[in-house]
Amino acid sequence: MKLGIRIRTGLAVAVATGLAVAGAGVGAQAASNVTLTVWSYGNVFEPKIVDMYRKAHPDVTIKITKMNLDDEHNKLLYALPSRAVPDVAAVEMAYMGQFRQPMIAAQFTNLNTLGANKIASDYLPFRWAQGTGLNGAQIGLPTDVGGLAVAYRTDLFKKAGFPTKREEVTALWPTWEKFITVGKQFQNKVPGVGFMDSTGTLFAAVLNQGTEKYYDAKSRAAIYRTNPTVKRAFDIAAKAGCTFMRNNKCAGSIGTKINQFSPDWGAAMNKGAFAAVLAPAWMLDYIKQQAPGTKGKWDIAAVPGGGGNMGGSMLTIPKKAKNAKAAWDFISWYLAPAQQLKTFQLYGLFPTTYKMYSQPSIKNYKDPFFNNAPVGAIYSSSAMKLKPIYAGAKDRLIDSTFGQALARITQGTQTKSCGSFPAQTSGAAWCQALQDIQHNVGQ
Amino acid sequence: MTAISQTLKSRKRRRMSAIARQDRVGLFYVAPFFVHFVLFGAIPIVFTTALAFFNADFQTYYEFITNHQLSVLTNAFAGLDNFRELFKDSYFWLALRNTFSIWLISTVPQLIIAFGLASLLANARLRASTFWRTALMIPNITSVLAVAIVFQQLFGRDFGIFNVLLHYVGHKPIEWVAGTIPSHFAIATMINWRWLGYNSLIFLAAILAIPKELYESAALDGASRWQTVRYVTIPQMKNTITFMLVMGTIGGLGLFVEPLTYGGGFDGGANSQFLTMTLYLYKQAFMNQRLGYGAAIGVGITLVVMIISAINFMITRSIAGEESK
Repeated sequence: MKLGIRIRTGLAVAVATGLAVAGAGVGAQAASNVTLTVWSYGNVFEPKIVDMYRKAHPDVTIKITKMNLDDEHNKLLYALPSRAVPDVAAVEMAYMGQFRQPMIAAQFTNLNTLGANKIASDYLPFRWAQGTGLNGAQIGLPTDVGGLAVAYRTDLFKKAGFPTKREEVTALWPTWEKFITVGKQFQNKVPGVGFMDSTGTLFAAVLNQGTEKYYDAKSRAAIYRTNPTVKRAFDIAAKAGCTFMRNNKCAGSIGTKINQFSPDWGAAMNKGAFAAVLAPAWMLDYIKQQAPGTKGKWDIAAVPGGGGNMGGSMLTIPKKAKNAKAAWDFISWYLAPAQQLKTFQLYGLFPTTYKMYSQPSIKNYKDPFFNNAPVGAIYSSSAMKLKPIYAGAKDRLIDSTFGQALARITQGTQTKSCGSFPAQTSGAAWCQALQDIQHNVGQ
Repeated sequence: MTAISQTLKSRKRRRMSAIARQDRVGLFYVAPFFVHFVLFGAIPIVFTTALAFFNADFQTYYEFITNHQLSVLTNAFAGLDNFRELFKDSYFWLALRNTFSIWLISTVPQLIIAFGLASLLANARLRASTFWRTALMIPNITSVLAVAIVFQQLFGRDFGIFNVLLHYVGHKPIEWVAGTIPSHFAIATMINWRWLGYNSLIFLAAILAIPKELYESAALDGASRWQTVRYVTIPQMKNTITFMLVMGTIGGLGLFVEPLTYGGGFDGGANSQFLTMTLYLYKQAFMNQRLGYGAAIGVGITLVVMIISAINFMITRSIAGEESK
């Protein structure tokens, strides 16, 4: 509905820049000052690292506009064909499937023309592949890799009579099914404490261990309905959200009812209201900030099924960016091995430049907050186990609809029956999720 | 003869041109409003209404922008399809119900409390009245995002202050987010907190504008306090109350930021329990990239607002009719 305005601003900006370019032709050589406009969200650009670039390049002004995640991507989608684009735009993995579509990917600068192909071998192959558009162009440079592990509270595990050493804990759950059984045992032994924070997080964890999600990698058709990985991921998360049954209805989960990143979540972490969190590398920093008083009470074990990944972003340069060259200098510097190492040390974001995983600075990195767990080794092995996963056009909306269904299970608000499934069952939640996706996506 | 008529004419012309010149100056003064209105009011309205008849998504937009071919538009023309779908869309009707529910539990108590506060502030014996009047506006100028974070904390299920207090009196925790009515109540509280002061000040202005003589004669007639309010204050404030009902209706039916920030997403909760009409518009138009359908939802919202406004108008007219009898 804002289309009209956008086309108009697009034209106006186009005319204005046309004039500016025509007028600046003469004096352009003299001024080497460049202003890079950057659209971002969350913590893609860490201030201390950006400041290092600013200090080294006083002639470059970097203007970062931080927006809400969904807003940034929607704004970018409609800005791309116009000239009102930033020089650098961050794109989250949940949206990458949309921006990789050939027509949209064509609106980005092919980074290979700026030299990306020369540094491609530095990066984790599966993360690099996620940044390739369906038109064959390299449209994104991968930021951090989430990896996946389980952060757990040794004190609470001890209370439940479980082993507390990380190798022994990892051995407790070779499969996701076992993970749920352990959760059930924990819950029976330590009443009032959730085994994990939010069982809905299991869905993405299991899903990302596969190679396809909601769309077929070859035909690009929607397969969320038939892909066994999706059903399996849903069933595991649903089982965890509906572990205890009464009269064939859900009556309790192995998690709390708290949503991640809500104010309650931070409070619960401080009070020890749950014993385990599925933790990508960036999660560790959240835990430290939310619950500094729990230092030393945590340790880190591997996830069932070995590897895992959650999160991560791409840095892109729109085709109509005014300073594509300067933008490339900035992002290729920002994501170069040296800076990624620094970001890891300061902010805990795990590098995508995997060749340094074998270097002592990563390999031997231990975190005292987590009982000196070898964080570097754990996350590198987790990240190395992953295969590329095909991202599709409406991943974000479908993710969110399955998330709603799983939340209905844990909250006990699946009030509608669906198909042959009665209300308050996980079958009804799955059935309604499929209907809702069909209703929105139309496929 | 002719000379006289000519001088008359020219005098008239001169006067006319002076008026015309004045008019032109006047036009210049009001121009910014009209330019703004045309650019950001009229064009989007016309454009949105037109868009509602197309099956347009971002591909239509990209093809049109990059190829400039009209065939893109003719291919996307969908006639009344979007409206037919909207009429059958259970989520739109759910969103309508949610919006009405939140609107009702935010507007009614808000107007009553605001009226009470305004009466207190109008009291001549109140000390530091300017301070209180200013203080009332603080919620209104606070960032909605900050308000949302604070209210999320207050209404937290496990560690929020309301549930902690309820726990002490032996009540089980209320599902402030997962429950339908509790979530509506929590969002309405955010709105009330934000707009109470603003409404109180408008009421206050209206109360202060009522001539003192009316109260004096009411007192002479032996009217009780309640009778004074019922037969002097409220009828005198009829226009203000109408204004606030209309503004409340428009604001309430366009409810967007509060449910978005409270739930932390565009879904309006796991069971869509606080999905409002505009949130659904956003979800369809931008999360689902169905611009045409989103526009149809926008037209639907406009129709709802128009119907409610008509009802408002009729109620106000009937009150006015009663008075003239």
